[in-house]
This record gives sequence, C-alpha cells and structure tokens, in this order.
Amino acid sequence: MTEDKIQDLLQNADRTLGPPVPVSVELSAIRGRARKRQLARLTTSLGAGVVLVALGFCALTAVDKSREREKIALLQIQIKQLQVRTNATVKLIEEVLENEQKQRRLNELQAQIINTPDPLEEVQQQVDKAAFILVYHADRLCQELNQTDSAIRTYNRVIEFFPKNRWAEVARQRLLEIKNKKRDKTSSEGDLLWKPQNTSSRC
Amino acid sequence: MAEINDDESLVKKFNQGDESVFERIVRQYSAEVAALANRLLGWPGEVEDVTQDVFLAAYLGLKKFRCQCSLKTWLFTITINKCRSYRYKCILRRRLTVARLHLGTTPTADRKLVDSETVERISRAIIGLPARYREPIVLRYLQELPTAEICQILGVTENALHVRLTRGRKRLRKELAELIEE
Repeated sequence: MTEDKIQDLLQNADRTLGPPVPVSVELSAIRGRARKRQLARLTTSLGAGVVLVALGFCALTAVDKSREREKIALLQIQIKQLQVRTNATVKLIEEVLENEQKQRRLNELQAQIINTPDPLEEVQQQVDKAAFILVYHADRLCQELNQTDSAIRTYNRVIEFFPKNRWAEVARQRLLEIKNKKRDKTSSEGDLLWKPQNTSSRC
Repeated sequence: MAEINDDESLVKKFNQGDESVFERIVRQYSAEVAALANRLLGWPGEVEDVTQDVFLAAYLGLKKFRCQCSLKTWLFTITINKCRSYRYKCILRRRLTVARLHLGTTPTADRKLVDSETVERISRAIIGLPARYREPIVLRYLQELPTAEICQILGVTENALHVRLTRGRKRLRKELAELIEE
C-alpha cells in the first residue's frame, strides 16, 4: 500500500517536472571529444615518459655529480694534508735556522769572552802599578827631597794597602834600610851609606 | 533476446568501421538516458553534459562491449556511473543547490499534477537519499525496469536490491510522511 503510494507520488512529481530539455548528441561532437581525450591521454603518457626520462637523466647526472663531489672532497682532504705537512716542514726549517743563529751568536759571545782580558789580572796589574807608584814616590821623597818621614809614611801605606804585593816587600826593605841608616847614624855618626834602589827601570 | 542479437549486430558493424551505427544508437537511447539522468540528479531539467559524457564513454568503450547484457542496460549502467561522478563533482564544487535544480523546470498548468511545494519536497527527498537507495528507487518506480535488469545495471543481487529498496522506501516514508498519509 505504502509502496504504491510512494510510486504514485514519485511518478506524479516526475510527470509534473516533465522530461529534461531535449538533448542533441551529435556524432561529430562526440568524435571530437573522443579525439581530444585520446590526445590528452597520449600527451599525458608522453609527458609522463618525458618526465621519467628527465628524472632518469637527473638521477644519472646526480650520480656523476656525486662522484665528482667525492673526488673534489678527496682532493681537498689531500690538499689539507699537504698543507699540514708543508707547515710542519717550514716550522722545522725555521727552528733549525733559529738554532743555527743562536749557535752562531753563542760562538761570537764565547770568542768575545775569550778575547776579554781577565778582570782579576787587570785589577792585579792596577794594584801592582799603584804600589810601584807609591814606592817610587817614597824613593824620590827620601833620595831627592830628603823627606824621610814622608817617605816612611808612604812605605807604611804601601805595606798597609798592599801587604802581599812584591812592592810591599820592597817598602819593608826600604824601611829597614832607613832604620839601619838611622841606627848607624846615631851609633857612629858615620857616612850615610844608604843608596836608594833604582826604581825607574821598573816603570 | 532479440534485442541482444540486434545489439550484437550493431556492435559488430561499429567494430567494422560503420560509425553511422552509433548515430542510430544515440537516436534510439538518448531520450531514455537523458530521462534517467534527469531523475537520478533530482530533475535538474538540463542534463546535456551528463548525456554527452554517457555517449562519449559509450563511443570509446563500444568496441569492448561483449553483449552480455542489452545495450540499453549497458548505457543505463554508464548513466548511473556518470551521474554519480557528476553529483560528486557538484557536491565538491558546492554548486548543487535545491533551488537551482528546480529552476530548470517550468511545468505548464495543465501538466501540473501536484503542487510545486509537494514536488519540491519529493525532489528534496529523492536528492537527499544516498546513491545506493536513490538509484534502485528511480530505476524501479520511475524507469519501471524489471528486477533482473535493475540488478544487472547496479551489479547487485536480488536480495541486495530488495534490501536497498526497502531501506530507501523507509527513508522516503519518513521524509514524505505527511504526503503519504494524505
């Protein structure tokens, strides 16, 4: 019952709305569309083929590129290693040169040291000279100026300042001679036999 | 059976290169195909695009037609598929509105069997049905095709068809309760 009712309603609505606008299906139009579709399919297939070929080519190129990149990377590593070795060698050479320079400088300094006179010896010479001058001065005071007291003081200074010097020994001798001379003079009032030692030969 | 034999000879001729056969097929079935499309799409009035698509598909696929069913059944199957695609596209594009569907029809006063409001409600109800219920309903109650042919067109068993028809009717009863009670 309900089924019939539904069928009636639907059929009434269908009749009320009527048939669709008449459709004109032309064979030429359908042929044209069919050709277009076939062409589109063909184009799509060709396009896909081209894309695949391009992708393949790109992949091959990418492989080549990746190989080239690997080579470049290897070369870069080798260059870096060479640079490191070169730097090390240069550093070694610099060190060697520096050592050689130092050695040369050291030799020069040693030569200078060798050539430099011994300061102790120099001081000794100076001391010797000073003692001689004092003794010479005292001799002249005693012999030429007859200033025995001054001469005694000078000899004593030589003994005091340069006790171990040979001129100190000379000074002691002179003092002894002066002493002997004075004693002889007081005891015998004799001639003065004292003669000053020639010191000029030593100067 | 005679129809199938006739169809076979048509297809044979077409395969031999006689394209005038296709013109005959178009003349013979275009009205029915358009009517079915019109009903399946909720009476939009203009179904030229869908009909063109149906016959284009038929033109491209006629060489592969193996005559296991009648040409009409085959064309109706294509029509149903094209209508599904068309509806799907329309839904996607949000172009399918009830108002627009009704604008295409301008019924005359003498042909007016039910009022416009009722027609609109019926149309809404049919459009609102899912395809799996709408198609059997249209084929059964509007195209008035036999059960076996409907099964062949939809590719379902008789039981499945009955289940779909029952569920479709149930939905329509719910939608058109007032109209049915009157």
